[in-house]
Amino acid sequence: MRTMSNEASVVMSATTTMPSRAKVGMASLIFMESAFFAAFLVTYLYYIGKSPDGPQPLDCLELGPVLFNSACLIASSVTVVFAVKSLARGAVGAFRLWMVVTILLGLEFLVGTGIEWRGLIEGKGLTLQSNAFGTTYYALVGFHAFHVAIGLLMLFGMLLLSLCGCINPKRDHMRVDIATWYWHFVDVVWIFVFTLVYIIGKVPQGGSL
Amino acid sequence: MTTTPAHSDPARSDPESSGGASTERLTFWEEATRWTLSVDHKKLGLMYIAAGLVFFLIGGVEAAFMRLQLMKADAGIIDPETFNQLFTMHGTTMVFLVGMPILLGFGNYLIPLMVGARDMAFPRLNAFGFWLFIFGGILLYFSYIGSQGLYGAPSAPDVGWFAYAPLTSRTFSRGNSTDYWILGILVSGFGSMTTAINFIATILCMRCPGMKLMRMPMIAWMMLVVAGLVLVAIPVLTAAQAMLLLDRSLGAHFFDPETQGSAVLWQHLFWFFGHPEVYILILPAFGFVSEILPVFSRKAIFGYSLMVAATVGIGFIALGVWAHHMFVIGMGPVLDSFFAAATFLISVPTGIKIFNWIGTMWGGRLRFATPMLFVTGFIAMFVIGGLTGIMLATVPMDWQLSDSYFVVGHFHYVLFGGTVFGIFGAIFYWFPKATGRMLDDKLGKWTFWLLFIGFTLTFMPMHVSGVLGMPRRVYTYEADRGFELWNMISTIGVPVQMAGILVFLWNVVRSLRKGEIAGNDPWDAWTLEWATTSPPPEWNFDRVPTVTSARPLWDLKNPEDPDAHYE
Amino acid sequence: MSDAPNEHEAPYLRAIPRPTPWPLITAFGCTLVFAGIVTHVLVSVTGAACAIVGLVGWFREVFPHEATEEIPIAQCEIPLPAPVLAPRSTPRHTVRKLVPEEIHPYRSGLVGGLIGAAAMAIVAAAWGIIDAGSIWMPINLLAGVVLPSIGSASEEALKSFNGTWFACSAFLHVSLSLMVGLIFVVALPMMPKRPLIAGGIIAPILWTGVAWASLHVVNPTLEQHISWPWFLASQIAFGCACGGVVARFNMVRLQFGQTIAERLDVEQSKGGSR
Ligand SMILES: [Cu+2]
Repeated sequence: MRTMSNEASVVMSATTTMPSRAKVGMASLIFMESAFFAAFLVTYLYYIGKSPDGPQPLDCLELGPVLFNSACLIASSVTVVFAVKSLARGAVGAFRLWMVVTILLGLEFLVGTGIEWRGLIEGKGLTLQSNAFGTTYYALVGFHAFHVAIGLLMLFGMLLLSLCGCINPKRDHMRVDIATWYWHFVDVVWIFVFTLVYIIGKVPQGGSL
Repeated sequence: MTTTPAHSDPARSDPESSGGASTERLTFWEEATRWTLSVDHKKLGLMYIAAGLVFFLIGGVEAAFMRLQLMKADAGIIDPETFNQLFTMHGTTMVFLVGMPILLGFGNYLIPLMVGARDMAFPRLNAFGFWLFIFGGILLYFSYIGSQGLYGAPSAPDVGWFAYAPLTSRTFSRGNSTDYWILGILVSGFGSMTTAINFIATILCMRCPGMKLMRMPMIAWMMLVVAGLVLVAIPVLTAAQAMLLLDRSLGAHFFDPETQGSAVLWQHLFWFFGHPEVYILILPAFGFVSEILPVFSRKAIFGYSLMVAATVGIGFIALGVWAHHMFVIGMGPVLDSFFAAATFLISVPTGIKIFNWIGTMWGGRLRFATPMLFVTGFIAMFVIGGLTGIMLATVPMDWQLSDSYFVVGHFHYVLFGGTVFGIFGAIFYWFPKATGRMLDDKLGKWTFWLLFIGFTLTFMPMHVSGVLGMPRRVYTYEADRGFELWNMISTIGVPVQMAGILVFLWNVVRSLRKGEIAGNDPWDAWTLEWATTSPPPEWNFDRVPTVTSARPLWDLKNPEDPDAHYE
Repeated sequence: MSDAPNEHEAPYLRAIPRPTPWPLITAFGCTLVFAGIVTHVLVSVTGAACAIVGLVGWFREVFPHEATEEIPIAQCEIPLPAPVLAPRSTPRHTVRKLVPEEIHPYRSGLVGGLIGAAAMAIVAAAWGIIDAGSIWMPINLLAGVVLPSIGSASEEALKSFNGTWFACSAFLHVSLSLMVGLIFVVALPMMPKRPLIAGGIIAPILWTGVAWASLHVVNPTLEQHISWPWFLASQIAFGCACGGVVARFNMVRLQFGQTIAERLDVEQSKGGSR
């Protein structure tokens, strides 16, 4: 039988380490969104090579423009880190500047995706209805773009708050940091989408099912 | 500012004082506004449970109509189209609008109290999730009047609760009743996900000093695992429903086999959600059992750490068994064996729990008050449901019994005999905490026995009619198939159950006004929620408690022999 | 989403989140956005507007500071009554967990296992001679549990001596017997009332049932040769002999300080329910 003496130490050890609820909440949100995208990624994988007729990924998907778009998105993940670092330092001006750069890079990605889609629809005749490839391609890339848009709105909101002087570096830099986790998540999802769609998925489609 | 802790103020335990915040009575509208705008986890939890019970009555009436039609062979009380709508709405309601909200409601009410927090981590998000659930449910039921079914007449969804493709394609499901099914579930699913995030953040970040993870009440552990499962499973359903919506409204080709889509993919995605969903519905009930059994056995729970390990184990294995719902689509021997083996594997942690519960009761001084009755009923019914589940996980057996009434019997034993009995046990156990008054024990026992007998009458014969070959979802059957006797018995059980429910409702109405005053700790229990008043004030605890063991109130009541010595 | 420090507030001044309509409005707007898909696009537009207004209002509730409603000190002044501390009327020797505090010495399990093994061998040999026609029959059949080839062996082969099979069978028999003997050491003290009935009769019946139910899966051909009444008799012989020997030894106290049982939070009671 143990003695009473370790009771106090038992209590003390538990009071010190409670994780921040904002961090846990954001992590859970990202976990949930990952499950959502996993379903779409698996579906895309399932349908690779199962579009015998209609436009084919080998003819439709060009690496050039999408590589530039991807570079912009990944660069925006770096610039947003610079923004958060500046805010933590108290350099509000640098924070705003980096946020503007991040938002512009994110916008470039969205506009680039739009241009690519217009090329696909008008040039190659690939639509959501043409075949399994079209269906899964537009769904996956579209839902990702939708999440990019949400992330952009969040970034834009933070920029606006900062411009009207509502963001206090000392008080808020942790919140801003946690909010940008979402942006990084959107970025990481894109790496998966890109690999699956533009590298793994560019295979000849089976002539017979 | 007085700080004498031992003194007890009778005014505080007066249930009329509405949480102790203000003593004057509010008008009906003031009260309604308070509840509507509230972000308090206790109010939201009670609203969840109340709304879930309302939907429970609706879903129950739907089931009663089906049983009425099936009572006799070749009956013509209900036409086939209505029958399809009834079983679709019954299944969807019971899973998404009854099981989930009631269990989330209990989580909402109990988690902060049990881990010693003032509120949930994100109180407003909590309200948001609740209202999404309510509006989602309303949207689903709005289909009865607002949708355009065949020939433009309103029609509720009629594709079954798992909405198999290609039944859901534009070709076979005209109008937009299926879209109502998609959107209603989608919206309430968002609500469940936000609530799950809230649970995780609350359990991980809001515990009171000394409340280490391995000291949390079992319910907190169960809810943590449930929240994890929700975060994995529901987004997959959401994704699948989004695809289906694209199929139906924009002409995509995800699930329509006519246009190179895959009906099997829908099954995979749906059941990847569907099986964890079963555990989302049963794990909180496991939690209720694990809280109620020890108190009414006067013993600490047997094998706490093993129980936690089994819960987490169930959470992981539950994600890898989904295709046991799909043995009949012809997946091939490798996949069949894998999913059968995984399903057998999950019975190990589940069995551990059963043994631990029996170990908890073993040698205890058992008090068979109503909560305990429901909980022991739960164990018995769940074991039967679990065993028929193992039968169904055996591939050749499943080929024979899949989509028969045997399956219907099986999952009602799990979800009614399991989850619903657990919920009733929990309602009887925590009603005094939430309202300050006891539910009547005698009426409670009537409820239990009526429900138990009615339940057995209704669902036990389904195993037999299923083995005899009666398929589920048929609106009628021929006279010479040998199904009649069993269906007759099943239907006879329905009014018995209804009587049980009526007794329960009467009990609630009566006890709310004239029930015996409960006091703070009517069951002589050991978890933190019993350390505050009944009902608790809006801030839960005047001083945030500090705990030294998994049974903080045991330590308080038995200072000479505290649990802390044994940790 | 601020991390309000909740432990640094003045005693009895309670700050609770202020009731707010914004989450409700946001949820309503979100639902309308989806409802528009099945009704009219205007519904979606209204819903989106509603949701945005709700989100902005919600954001202003939590930023820059969480909006709270403070309960006046006066109303909080009455402390909550402390939980009942009075001693209860019920007897104090409450059992918390059931684990045998005293068990038979492990040595007794080994001895009991060996004696049980001998008793079982005698019954099995008797079956072999009286019923099956050869003393080697039971020995070869036991080896068949691990050597599947025996299942398809001829009747003659099963009735004659085979060195490998004999060695295999002997090893299986002795090791299984010792194992069950050790299980009896800890299991018997937990059995209610008469340990000999539980260990000597009920347990053998149970595991014979398990063997009976599972053998046609494990080795179907083997099952045809086995006489289940004799099998049960041999198991009961084992159970009675082993249980009897184990029960004859005096109990020893477990040293709980270092065992895994203690580390698993299992606490001893007064020697089971005896
Ligand atoms: Cu399942």
